[in-house]
Formats: sequence, C-alpha cells, structure tokens
Amino acid sequence: MKPDINEALLNAAQEIIGRFSPLIEDEYERSRLGSWGALILISAMKFNDAGSALYKENEDIVLWLRDYTNLDSEELTNLDIKAYQDVSTVDKINQELRELLNREFMALEDSGDKVGIRSGLVLMRTMHQRRKVSDLIGLLQVPED
Amino acid sequence: MSEELSSKFISYYSSFSNKDYSLVSFERIFGGASRETYKIEVKGDTVERLILRVTQDSSLIETEQETEYLAYSAFQNSAVPVPDLLDMSEDKNILGAPFMLMKELKGEAASPFTPGVYSPNEKKLGYQFWSILGEIAKKDINKDIFETLAEELSSPSWKNELDKWVKVIHEDSISIEPILEAGIRTLYRNPPKEPERLSIVHGDYRSGNFLFLNDQITGILDWEMAHIGNPLEDLGWALSPIWSWQDRKRPGYLIQKEEALKVWESSSNIKVDPVELKWWELFAAVKGMAIWISAGNEFKSGKNIDPINLFSAWIPGDIHLEVILDILEDNNEA
Repeated sequence: MKPDINEALLNAAQEIIGRFSPLIEDEYERSRLGSWGALILISAMKFNDAGSALYKENEDIVLWLRDYTNLDSEELTNLDIKAYQDVSTVDKINQELRELLNREFMALEDSGDKVGIRSGLVLMRTMHQRRKVSDLIGLLQVPED
Repeated sequence: MSEELSSKFISYYSSFSNKDYSLVSFERIFGGASRETYKIEVKGDTVERLILRVTQDSSLIETEQETEYLAYSAFQNSAVPVPDLLDMSEDKNILGAPFMLMKELKGEAASPFTPGVYSPNEKKLGYQFWSILGEIAKKDINKDIFETLAEELSSPSWKNELDKWVKVIHEDSISIEPILEAGIRTLYRNPPKEPERLSIVHGDYRSGNFLFLNDQITGILDWEMAHIGNPLEDLGWALSPIWSWQDRKRPGYLIQKEEALKVWESSSNIKVDPVELKWWELFAAVKGMAIWISAGNEFKSGKNIDPINLFSAWIPGDIHLEVILDILEDNNEA
C-alpha cells in the first residue's frame, strides 16, 4: 500500500512552511513560499473529496431541476450520469447543469415562486458548503493582501 | 530584477533630488494587488525612507496610476492621513515601468484575515477608522481632481459601478456561478437612490489598507480604485463580513457594527438609510467576487502565478459568495 497523494501534499506543505520558508532571508520570497505552503495544505485537505463532491453536486442539481422546473426529462436524463466518468467529463456536465440551474432559478424569480426560490437557495447552500475551502482559514497563516 | 531596479532607482533619485545618494536597502513588500511595492532606504545628508509603487504588467486589479496619485493629492495635509507624494512618472524608460514615489509613513499594516491583530487597541483604532472614512465622505474635493476622477462617471452612479464590475465578472469567469448571478440580478432589480452629494470613494477602504502605530492610524493606503460616487459604497465595503470573518459582529476586527455606524454618521454628517446600506453591502460582495474572479483568471491563464492570485480566488472568493448567499436567504425568508 503506497502513501496517498493527499498525504504527500500534506507533508510537502509542512516542509515548505516549517523547514524551507524560514531559511529564506528575502522577506518577499519567504512570504511567497509560505503562501504556496498554505495553498498546498488546502489542496491536500480537499484532494480526496473533490471528484466525489462534483458527482454529488451534479446529482443534486438534476434532482432539483426535476422537482422545480418543467425541463424536458430526456435532456435531464442525458445529464444524469450514473456510470463512471473521468473528472473532466463530470466537470463538463457540471458546467451545463450550473447554466441550467441559473436559467431556471431566474425564471422562478421572474414568476415570484417563493417556494421554488427557497428550495433553489437551499440547493445553492448545499453546493457551496461542499465546495468551499474558506472554512480552513483558521488553520492557515494566510498571506497578506 | 530587484538589483537592476534598485540601481536604476538610485541613479533616478539622485538626479531627481539633485543630490548624491547611496542605497541602504531596497526590499519588495509581499502582497499588493495592483502594484509592485518597494520599501527603500537611501542615504544622502540623512537617511530617507521611501515607498516606490511600480505598475505591474499583470495585476489583480487593472487601475490607472494617475487615479491613485490624484486621490493622494486630494488628501494631502487633511484630516485623512496619507503619505507625502514625491513624484509620479508614466515614463517606462526611467525604471522600466510607470511608477509613483512617496515618503514612508511610520506604522505597520495588518493582514485583514487575522483576528485580534489590533488588540489591545481595537477600540481606539476602530473609532479613528470609521471617523476617517466619514471625513473622506464629506471632503470637498478640489474641482480639477473631482472632474478628472469623474470623467467616466455616468448617471446613476450606482449603475456605473455595478456595470463596471459585472463586466469584469462576465469577462473573467471560468464558469457560471448561480449564487453570484442571483446576487447581481437582485442589485439591478432593487436599485438604490442617488446620494444627495457625490463624494470621493476610496474604493478599497478596509482593515489591512491602513497603517497604524500602537493606537494611532498613521496612514490610509491603496487608493488605486478611487472614484467619484456614493459614500455608502465605501461604508458597505469596509463593513463587509469578509474583513472580520471569524468575528462578524466587529467589522475589520475593530468595534461593533452599530458603534461603527454611529461614528461614521457623526463624522460624515450623513444619516445611514439601512435599506440603502444593505444594497451597498450586497454590492460590496459582488464587487469582491469580480476582484477574486479576476485574480483566479490571472492565475489560471498563467499571466500571473503569484500565489496571492490563487489565494484570492479560493478563500476570499468563497467568503464573498457565502456573504451573497446569506443576503439572498435573508431577503427570501418566510
């Protein structure tokens, strides 16, 4: 059993932040390398879940579109992929689904459908919770803006 | 690059001042969205500390150097502390890129993402921070500066700003973001009133963009997004929860929001309309998204792989999206 990719990234981040960055005298270069360390740390913590999160997001959007819109069910079936696909294909489908979600949510706003709008916001909250990395801000020595 | 720049600089500065100078130190400061910033010490008859801002080929926010220069000029010797300007040049032949030179102010700038960074002086600094913002809002600007900064202003001013940032979003977005699009639509559907009086707007007034020494604010920095507009724009931006994400009731990790508004109202002589302010708070998050999306685009296209661009797209981008979602949910509560 080989070490996982996220473990490799985690160790690389720790070495960059704790071992190599402090050796650099130039303040700008030290800060820049430290920032790379922090960003690799975030990548390590999100790496394992990225692919499955995208799958789940696509499923959630399809479900919502079925429940709250009048979209053609065949069109949705083409986007509701259950079989294994590589991440770039899942991402491409995700882009299409996000376009549809935006278009249909706008239609609900125009029609004043409060129930549909609230359910759309619940979906967007779920999507955001799954994607966001900002919850890791407390763990990081973030670069100065 | 720094060595070449430092040697060009010392020869320029000696000629500019008509005196012989030697270089004591020349250090780039990390961060800075639109300019490369250098902290310089030179020795002539005495030691002088200077700040050099050099325009970057690729920057997080595309801005005119003249804007920043004019804004600093507008507040020289006023209640708003700004550095003394020494020179500005658009000539690329002198240092390799347009630049602006000013005297260094005493004090330090803090990261806007670090809680407790102003402790134990957050109260005193907080009163000054909101009071200075009020001073900016009520300042009578020199007519020439006002007209130059207002050159691209069309009516209504809110639309001018919103159109500008929405254009950035739609040009630089890597993919569509339904939360952001819903936020943009909300802004267009419920426009604010025009202010009774247009003011100079700093454009990036927030924690992290001021210098402080113990319990004193010594300088307001980073005026490159200054323009003429509604003073509530700066207030909405400075109040944005992103600048105190881990303690959202104390904007900028300074004083409580209610207290901050009282200080600002008293200093600016403007009464805040909560409905109007809410619009500008949502606008702030949308504008923030434009900036973070633009940063992500710079990184992804390989034009500028400074980690600050990746950081901006990831962390502040997530936070401002969440702020928009919070506001949309609040607007649609049963």
